[in-house]
Amino acid sequence: MTTEISQADATTFAIVDELKARFGEANLVVQPTLTGMPVVWVAREQLIEVMRFVQQVNKPFVMLYDLHGVDERLRMHRRGLPPADFTVFYQLMSLERNSELMIKVALHEDDLRVPTLCNVYLNANWYEREVFDMFGIDFAGHPHLSRMLMPPTWHGHPLRKDYPARATEFDPYTLTMEGQDREQEALRFDPEDWGMKRQSGDTDYMFLNLGPNHPSVHGVFRIALQLDGEEVVDCVPDIGYHHRGAEKMAERQSWHSYIPYTDRIDYTGGVMNNLPYILAVEKLAGISVTSRAETIRVMMAEMFRINSHLLFLGTFLQDLGAMSPVFYTFSDRQRAYHVIEAITGFRMHPAWFRIGGVAHDLPRGWDRLVREFLDWMPPRLDEYERAMMDNSIVRERTVGIATHTTAEALTWGVTGPNLRATGLKYDLRKAKPYSGYERFDFDIPVGTNGDVFDRGMMRIEEMRQSLRIIEQCLKNMPEGDYKADHPLTTPPPRDKMLQHIETLITHFLQVSWGPVLKANESFQMIEATKGLNSYYLTSDGNTMSYRTRIRTPSFAHLQHIPAVINGGFVPDLIAHLGSIDFVMADVDR
Amino acid sequence: MSYKLTRIDPDAPQNSQYPVGERRVVDDPMDDQVHRNVFMGKLENIMHNVVNWGRKNSLWPYNFGLSCCYVEMTTAFTAPHDIARFGSEVLRASPRQADVMVISGTCFVKMAPIIQQLYDQMLEPKWVISMGSCANSGGMYDIYSVVQGVDKFLPIDVYIPGCPPRPEAFLQGLQLLQDSIQQERRPLTWVVGDQGVYKAEMPSQREKRRDERIAVTELRSPDEV
Repeated sequence: MTTEISQADATTFAIVDELKARFGEANLVVQPTLTGMPVVWVAREQLIEVMRFVQQVNKPFVMLYDLHGVDERLRMHRRGLPPADFTVFYQLMSLERNSELMIKVALHEDDLRVPTLCNVYLNANWYEREVFDMFGIDFAGHPHLSRMLMPPTWHGHPLRKDYPARATEFDPYTLTMEGQDREQEALRFDPEDWGMKRQSGDTDYMFLNLGPNHPSVHGVFRIALQLDGEEVVDCVPDIGYHHRGAEKMAERQSWHSYIPYTDRIDYTGGVMNNLPYILAVEKLAGISVTSRAETIRVMMAEMFRINSHLLFLGTFLQDLGAMSPVFYTFSDRQRAYHVIEAITGFRMHPAWFRIGGVAHDLPRGWDRLVREFLDWMPPRLDEYERAMMDNSIVRERTVGIATHTTAEALTWGVTGPNLRATGLKYDLRKAKPYSGYERFDFDIPVGTNGDVFDRGMMRIEEMRQSLRIIEQCLKNMPEGDYKADHPLTTPPPRDKMLQHIETLITHFLQVSWGPVLKANESFQMIEATKGLNSYYLTSDGNTMSYRTRIRTPSFAHLQHIPAVINGGFVPDLIAHLGSIDFVMADVDR
Repeated sequence: MSYKLTRIDPDAPQNSQYPVGERRVVDDPMDDQVHRNVFMGKLENIMHNVVNWGRKNSLWPYNFGLSCCYVEMTTAFTAPHDIARFGSEVLRASPRQADVMVISGTCFVKMAPIIQQLYDQMLEPKWVISMGSCANSGGMYDIYSVVQGVDKFLPIDVYIPGCPPRPEAFLQGLQLLQDSIQQERRPLTWVVGDQGVYKAEMPSQREKRRDERIAVTELRSPDEV
């Protein structure tokens, strides 16, 4: 086991030597962290060169997985790191190496400028806009550096440490008639802003504003379309209508009390969202949980995967004009909720995972409920496949529509079922198992064409695999504790707390102040319902996180839309929006 | 019974704050009528009852959702909960055809002007349900980008607590709205009588059910399913 780990580490960290060989050891600072990936600080002047190098190196880092910033000005524990007021970090993924790499660039307060990465990794565009919005960092050469999440009329950069977090620290919100006109005017779409022409040859283009409230945009998503008849010539997605400041919120909630906020990131994913956060916190705390806790977590996460995919299937087909599927899939969801509610006590947002385990043990009779659900679902899925996906209208609307290749998907940071629909067999549960997934036997469904139809089918097949996993949880649920015996388990095991004064004190401290985690950085990525979801936590040795970066799959998927849909028709766009399975909270956080 | 009177002022100055219009608590406007003419008063009462009965049983909801609560709201629309039992299954995608707008989710600063615009596009009579803690008060999101309660700019008829409320809670909220509509006094025609909208001050469910709630001494054990 130890040799395996060191071998994996050796491949993961091989890139550091390659970078040193190319750029010289003196120019790089390697930061030791608990993230499980090499974290390398480079000089701003070398950034583009470094990025081009890792993109073209043998076994390349094909995907820009994440890009964001940190306000370092109040950080106490940063010995050995280059002096910085702000940091921009770039996280890259290599599928061939099965590893990630983080590049960091230190910036001084008076000179918040970095060269844009848009020419190296296309999908840096939106990320850089978000960093500009949140931190006020300028990306020189960016094609359209403007606010991403906050309204265009906003003042200040919310993720800076000197920006107040609470709404109640500002004047109470008021809206006047004048104010409404002003805000609406600021949101007006101006084609010239985006380099679009109003006419070409004998065509006058029509500009159509779709959203932020439209039945087929699944929440509050807006997209401006440049149309030639019914053909989409170009489009500009506009997000930020669902920005709940989840990352800023983490900086004022204790490690424990932030758990409910994670539920609401991908709000159809329930406890699936707790998982990456809890796993990352446990890395910081040095807790290894019992196999019973791991298995319970896997079972509940897969229950929510099914639940989310059922919601997807119903609404996806409804977007295609099929009115009845949603009634079938929602009655299945009700059955899933029956199980979830009996075990966790809540429907959508149970916030049920805890640092070091889960909130309580499985109730007596849980196995009967899970059994009933496992018996109920498979024939339903067969029926959906036959009655819905074999439907000729659905096929006409979806086969060969909004197609993209694996290479395109990787360029745009597309992950999860949408990536697998292109034929790439990449599932993080297999590639880098977490929470005991290596103990389960399941297949990775893949598509062939990467079109809307494949993306729909992918979810049905994934539900079958999730049922297989839950079946194995049911049959092999390990005995033991549902919480780890560790001083940082929050809250500590109750029976111990009632017996030992030491545990009682710990309990008191953890619920009044919250657990204190050692200064370090940790990271956990999971295969969430919609793609790769990860939490990158920075602890400064406090009861609260110094910086929590939540990388969500839907953000990348929405940025990908223009590349897929330009040249298609408006109904194809609707089909595509239905098929990518996004929720806006997962985009704007 | 006392009523809340709403009067729309078409000439409101541009800088007036939402919700625009005058709102105050008054006595039943029917009382005057009844004192003037017993027969006409009764007839008008019957007319109001008939119209309100029709309105409350065919509330067309606007297909409008913001966040998590919208999923639970949609769940209430589907087969297991079946909102058609209450006459509200006719979902409208256009605000111009809808009667009731459910603010199901967090009201964001960036979204608020748009919500106001959509509300303005709805035709009278119209009602607003605030669903979930975020819409009620900002809930757990006391954060820079969130309006602390949609009632900062919209008049709300029913508040549904929960994060998110269960579909059953949404259905109860809808029924409470129906109860309130039954008591309303809106102009029966645009030429006769007072043109104000009188909405009944409905009792708080929290107060009303307090005794029942605190009488509960034993909670179900989480150890059993």
